[in-house]
Amino acid sequence: MRTLLYNGRILDPSQDLDLVGSVLIEDDQIVALGGDVPKEDLDEIYDCTGMWISPGLVDPHVHLREPGDEHKETIATGTQAAAAGGFTTICCMPNTRPPLDNPALIDFIMDRAASPEAGGVFVAPVGALTVGMKGEQLSDLAALKNAGIVAASDEGFPIQSSLVMSQAMQLCFQLDLPIMAHCDDVSLSKGGSMNEGAMSAMLGLKGIPRSAEEIMVMRNCLLALHTGCHVHIMRVSTWGAVELIRQAKYLNAPVTCEVCPQHFVFTDEAIGEFDTNFKNLPPLRTLVDIDLILEALADNTIDCIASDHSPHASHEVQSAFEEAPFGNVGLESVVGVTITYLTHKGRLSPLETIRKLSTTPAQLLRLGAGTLKPDETPVAAVTVIDPNVEWTFDVNKTFSKGKNSPFHGLALKGKTMLTFSGSEIYRDQHFGESRLRMADLV
Amino acid sequence: MARNLLGIRQLSKEQIQGLLTLAKEYKRKVNAKTPIKPMSDTVIGMLFFENSTRTRVSFEQAAHYLGAKTANFSASSSSMSKGETLKDTILTLRYERLNGLVMRHRFSGAAALAARYFGGPVLNAGDGQHEHPTQALADALTIIERLGSIQGLRIAIVGDIDHSRVARSNAWLLSKMGAEVRFVGPRTLMPVHPGMLPCTVFNDLATGIHGADVIIALRLQRERMETGLSSSVHEFTRLYQINRESLRHAKAECIVLHPGPINRGVELDDLTADSEKSMITSQVENGIFVRMASIAWAFGEDPVGHEMDESDKKPAKLKLGKKVAV
Repeated sequence: MRTLLYNGRILDPSQDLDLVGSVLIEDDQIVALGGDVPKEDLDEIYDCTGMWISPGLVDPHVHLREPGDEHKETIATGTQAAAAGGFTTICCMPNTRPPLDNPALIDFIMDRAASPEAGGVFVAPVGALTVGMKGEQLSDLAALKNAGIVAASDEGFPIQSSLVMSQAMQLCFQLDLPIMAHCDDVSLSKGGSMNEGAMSAMLGLKGIPRSAEEIMVMRNCLLALHTGCHVHIMRVSTWGAVELIRQAKYLNAPVTCEVCPQHFVFTDEAIGEFDTNFKNLPPLRTLVDIDLILEALADNTIDCIASDHSPHASHEVQSAFEEAPFGNVGLESVVGVTITYLTHKGRLSPLETIRKLSTTPAQLLRLGAGTLKPDETPVAAVTVIDPNVEWTFDVNKTFSKGKNSPFHGLALKGKTMLTFSGSEIYRDQHFGESRLRMADLV
Repeated sequence: MARNLLGIRQLSKEQIQGLLTLAKEYKRKVNAKTPIKPMSDTVIGMLFFENSTRTRVSFEQAAHYLGAKTANFSASSSSMSKGETLKDTILTLRYERLNGLVMRHRFSGAAALAARYFGGPVLNAGDGQHEHPTQALADALTIIERLGSIQGLRIAIVGDIDHSRVARSNAWLLSKMGAEVRFVGPRTLMPVHPGMLPCTVFNDLATGIHGADVIIALRLQRERMETGLSSSVHEFTRLYQINRESLRHAKAECIVLHPGPINRGVELDDLTADSEKSMITSQVENGIFVRMASIAWAFGEDPVGHEMDESDKKPAKLKLGKKVAV
């Protein structure tokens, strides 16, 4: 079986490649790419003229909700959403019920992700850093690592004790396991439901101050500096957090970070009259924060983009703002939003866009992904994106069970057309039949 | 045309004036025992998820004068305590064929949520720390009755501003009507970023109420003071109590309002609360008439044909348009 992705703009940040050419997949492996690939004995041709051909995208921050919250999402629906979003590898978060704090649960996740109903993407689990994510007793991280976790995190229940976090970093340094840290000083943020600012004062909602995030960013950067443990800071949202990470990197602290599209598109004013689709953790901030986040994306202080895909059931979202859960779905909107708001606005080149959506997160978490180099990924992982297709994101037409999205109804430019993980796992309706040709093309 | 009264923020000056005009008209009629065309076949749900005797009684009294029926719900006796979501409760009430809802809830924005699913007029009787529009209307009517107009007044709202829906609704209403609104209180009880609220902030009482025509003292919740996140009630009393001594900084004819219930000896001293400066009893009474106006307005009554007395100074010459009293 020989498949040719024909005549696209090949963007492979792992090789700093940006050229027009084709990618040849034989069976489930990439065997050739470039301007001059063999075109004999082809079985299928996908005409990618005008489109990007990139390594399969990588999302370091996804909530699949299974086990325990299957009413919000399942591993099957979440991985289908990932494939439709262009992702071939996703990291799933440990805040399931029960949390992913023992190896049997990691096996369960891997089995489900590999089942035929699932979307065909690789799922790399992130284990709970402490038992029950209670911030007290460290999990058996060596066993979890053997079971296949790629990082450890207490996700939305960040460890408050600096001593426990310091010990966690010592252990993770020994095990060569990154810690993914959501940064929140709960004593400051408790009871808050949006950014502490003029908008929260007007709406009479308790605010989450930016210092709640920044204090923990600073603490975790310092602990990373002193323990040598790789800390990946999740979903930065304030300019202060960005600046602290910049300083930490200047000191060569092993710190990396991600940002989510909602944090560079919306401010807290988007909440309007208590719209729970805009309730996020950390909360949506202000224009100043967006400006500095955009700058930090361009200068690589922010390493990568993550969806923080957080599906919830409609009845949970359609409640009073203070009661509604935090977060929104993102897997199927990340590409469109990122290309619309970063690439087309000249903030990131196409190559840098793909780097932040694929190569860098893959390298940070050593996922064996994010490259088109033959033999560096288990199977051919390729995403084809049409950067110019104009569409409107409709949350009711997504694979995810979650329908909570601040991006619903947004006009976007750029969309995933094809996703390959060994073979085709997603083809978009915008990818016309006329682009599917037999070997007569070349 | 049915309307919601979710807050003052969304109302125009003209709408506020219309509501106050209606309230004055109802007050005149009720006092003169002029019959009011009854809102027969109208049942209004009284949905109080937070304890409130005074506001509930006031709304019930208003409905009674309007000839509407009320149906009572309380959080403890309703299905909310059985785990029903707010949305489902509201949908149930909608299909119980209630015509309108008066709602109080501890969450900011709860009334807006109810309005999304109820499909009829929803009146906010207080949502979290967001708005309490009928209290602000009662305060405005009280001020107008005593001082003639709101335009150009300096009005200081004193106390726990951050947790007060009354402060927010009053700030919107009084500033839209042309007053200079001041928030006065310690930084521990003030919104950190008050920039979107139409007010100026003072932490010093003497400066804040300097030259004030009106002072609105807010209830200090002792429970909140006992969390250790602010100084003692004693310190608050010493620095922010409205009493004969502190009133020297305000205008000589300054009046004092309080939305109640009062902590006598804390935000207000005894003498001031019982003095002729105190408008507290008028506020309670006017509460009924502004709630009559609010209910009628929410059900489509307009002060059409009612002369808008711009200055609010001359006694209102009111004619009810087509809705002639029976």
